[in-house]
Amino acid sequence: MSGYAEGVLVLLAINVVLAYGAFLPVAAGQLNLGVAGFAAIGGYASAYLSARTATPVLVAIPLGGIAAGVVALAVAVPVLRTRGIYLALATFALGELVRATILNLEVVGGAAGYPVPAYIGLPVIAGFAVAVVVLVGLLFATRFGIAITAVHDDERVADLMGLDVRAFQIAAFVFGSVIAGIGGGLYAHHFNYIEAQYFNISMSISIVLYVLFGGTQSVVGPLLGATVFTLLPELLRASAQWRYVLFAAIVIVAMVVRPQGLVTAALVRRLLGLAQDFSLRGRERPA
Amino acid sequence: MLGSIYAMVGVAMTLSIGILRFLNFSIPALFMIGGMVTWALVHAGVPWPVAALAALAAGAAVALIVEAFTWRWMRGAGPFVPLVSSMAFLILFEHLAVAHWGSDLQTMPQLFGAGADWRVGNLVVSIPQLAGLAISVVMVAALSLALKRTQMGRALRTIAEDADTALLLGVDVGRIVPLVFLISGVFAALAGILFALNYRQVDPYMGEALGLKGISAMVVGGMGNVWGAIAGGMIIGLVEVLSIDFFGADFVDITVYGLLLLILIVRPTGLFGGAEIGVRA
Amino acid sequence: MSAAPILVLDNVSKHFGGLRVVEDLSFSVRRNSCTGLIGPNGAGKTTVFNLITGVYPIDSGRILLDDADISRVPSRRRIHHGIARNFQNIRLMPHLSAIENVMVGQHCRNGGLFGNLQPVALFPHNRWREEARAALAEAGLEDYERGVVRSLPYGVQKRIELVRALMAKPRLLLLDEPAAGLNSAETGALRELLAKICQQHGLTLLVIEHDMHFVGALCDEVVVLNFGRKIAEGRPDAVREDALVKEAYFGLDTGLAETRYVN
Repeated sequence: MSGYAEGVLVLLAINVVLAYGAFLPVAAGQLNLGVAGFAAIGGYASAYLSARTATPVLVAIPLGGIAAGVVALAVAVPVLRTRGIYLALATFALGELVRATILNLEVVGGAAGYPVPAYIGLPVIAGFAVAVVVLVGLLFATRFGIAITAVHDDERVADLMGLDVRAFQIAAFVFGSVIAGIGGGLYAHHFNYIEAQYFNISMSISIVLYVLFGGTQSVVGPLLGATVFTLLPELLRASAQWRYVLFAAIVIVAMVVRPQGLVTAALVRRLLGLAQDFSLRGRERPA
Repeated sequence: MLGSIYAMVGVAMTLSIGILRFLNFSIPALFMIGGMVTWALVHAGVPWPVAALAALAAGAAVALIVEAFTWRWMRGAGPFVPLVSSMAFLILFEHLAVAHWGSDLQTMPQLFGAGADWRVGNLVVSIPQLAGLAISVVMVAALSLALKRTQMGRALRTIAEDADTALLLGVDVGRIVPLVFLISGVFAALAGILFALNYRQVDPYMGEALGLKGISAMVVGGMGNVWGAIAGGMIIGLVEVLSIDFFGADFVDITVYGLLLLILIVRPTGLFGGAEIGVRA
Repeated sequence: MSAAPILVLDNVSKHFGGLRVVEDLSFSVRRNSCTGLIGPNGAGKTTVFNLITGVYPIDSGRILLDDADISRVPSRRRIHHGIARNFQNIRLMPHLSAIENVMVGQHCRNGGLFGNLQPVALFPHNRWREEARAALAEAGLEDYERGVVRSLPYGVQKRIELVRALMAKPRLLLLDEPAAGLNSAETGALRELLAKICQQHGLTLLVIEHDMHFVGALCDEVVVLNFGRKIAEGRPDAVREDALVKEAYFGLDTGLAETRYVN
């Protein structure tokens, strides 16, 4: 496989992981605009563990994810008391706060960035990406999936049906942050360098955009969104900056034409025969 | 102090939230466009007043483009859609600027001599910055007056209360909504222009670094509260200065965003509460 | 069969700002009965439901379920005490299919934290899915199992919502205008279904309705509200003759109002 193709696939795998990190809170009805901040925590934590302690990389990366999850848990309770726009802004403030804090931590290099000696290549990264997709897929195949969607659709009714809405929202937020943290760890150990400036609001917004673009009502959506975001510019031979311009333009047009995203639950289910749209059947009796 | 800059961006954002209930993430991009276009034209030899006006026009034009793609064709498509599109516009313009001008910091030539400073005791007040503040205050006062006294203002306040009722009452929502975008865009671009003229350093990421602090100004002042946004901007500017004095320059962002987070959790309606524009949800 | 009422409202009051929506309301619901809660629009009936389910906290008084004071129990826990409800304007989850909506109703019985990890979509014949399928079949809805709920006919959606509430295996089922929007055939079918449910499951029903024939045919007792206060209760035919009820519904001036409303 050429170096170029391998580079693209690495990027794809990392973007897929990050996409699921943003997807989980969105599936519970919340926008996490600080997702890059949690990726940074995971990246820095795993980098520190693999560089300064004897932790093997394959252990350090999940531990980095857990570190991000712990921070998310600590913050989730007060932050998730806010709603809607306030929550989006609170997560944005959180992401910026995390980044600003890391920039001041000399122990991991501060503003100069942090070199990461251990290296991981495509097989490991792809492995993590596949594991994330499978795990999230399995999670959504359980009652948890039904519960999260119920919480997303109608908090009041979910509450009256006995679901602990806050607990599910916190769980989705924390799991999402763990996954984002793993994404950060993958990035750090592939490029052997990590700097906080990279994990900015622009990154958070991009991730959220391709998740929303892919459709948030199906577990497959983030995969599609990340794929389009990563591969389309390559197909059109767009350079780094133009990739973002192109992608943003596509999102804007898509929001006009098909605002619910590329892959809606309805679409997937109909394609898989799991659901029937009765409005399409006119006056026929359902078969 | 950057307070008046934050204040103007805060006003731009608070107008969108107050009247349209819409968090307009493209406003930091308009701030950047105001600053970068001013620099680009001055760099090309255009006299600065002309450059400033052209940048203002550019901001206005872009604001209307954003309106078309976030609002005009999107009503009824779902509450998240305008927010998402505005975020996409932020990404679009930021990277367009990098693609066109490169990501380096650019410096404006010295336009006002060193004599443009007042010395009041130990305090050095830059006249251009003061002028910037004065312009901001005047514009917000004008806006505030317009909202209260003119027919347009009444129409805007009606839309803020209930867009559907406004339609029923014969308010020409289709012409007024672009006006809101236009005014926000002008405030944001003007803030960028003033920043370029006073602080002389611009780059494509200035929207992120500075424009987003306008969000803090908006929240601190109370979403939808135009005078609150001015006060919020000054407070954020002051907090920054104090933070530099006490903790050092590296801690500025921690303080500002920490404060934003705290306010959102503890007192989301802001220090000065709710809306001057319409009724808050 | 215990003689104690299953639900008792004891001097319950609720106000929003200066508006007294429910005022010193006391009534009880007999176990296994089908009781109607009726009254003109704005009488506070849905608010009473919201108080019983904990959507709003009561300002004064008590709510007793089987002699247990549930006034302070959080809304999320009330379904565990056996209270389930439907909604005046149908509130099904739009992104879940019909059967998944019904499965939401099972949540309170799913065995806690790790109950959430049961893989219900992976194995199509697991017991939760089978139970939901059977419940839908009992209501005549087996064909709509995988339906996208927003595309289903109104009457079907209403029945799905009912099945969802029943999935929680409640002791007390609150129905807010279950016949609204249904044609006469559907209304008749609903009445039969409710009567069957009432007898078979040992359930108590409290029904808000405007359709007086429906109430008369289904309910053993009715409680009549007006302006947040109880103005009558008893058997439907007796209540129909009550002067105050007539005044409330038809605006006839019987002069009896003053004796009841003035403290």
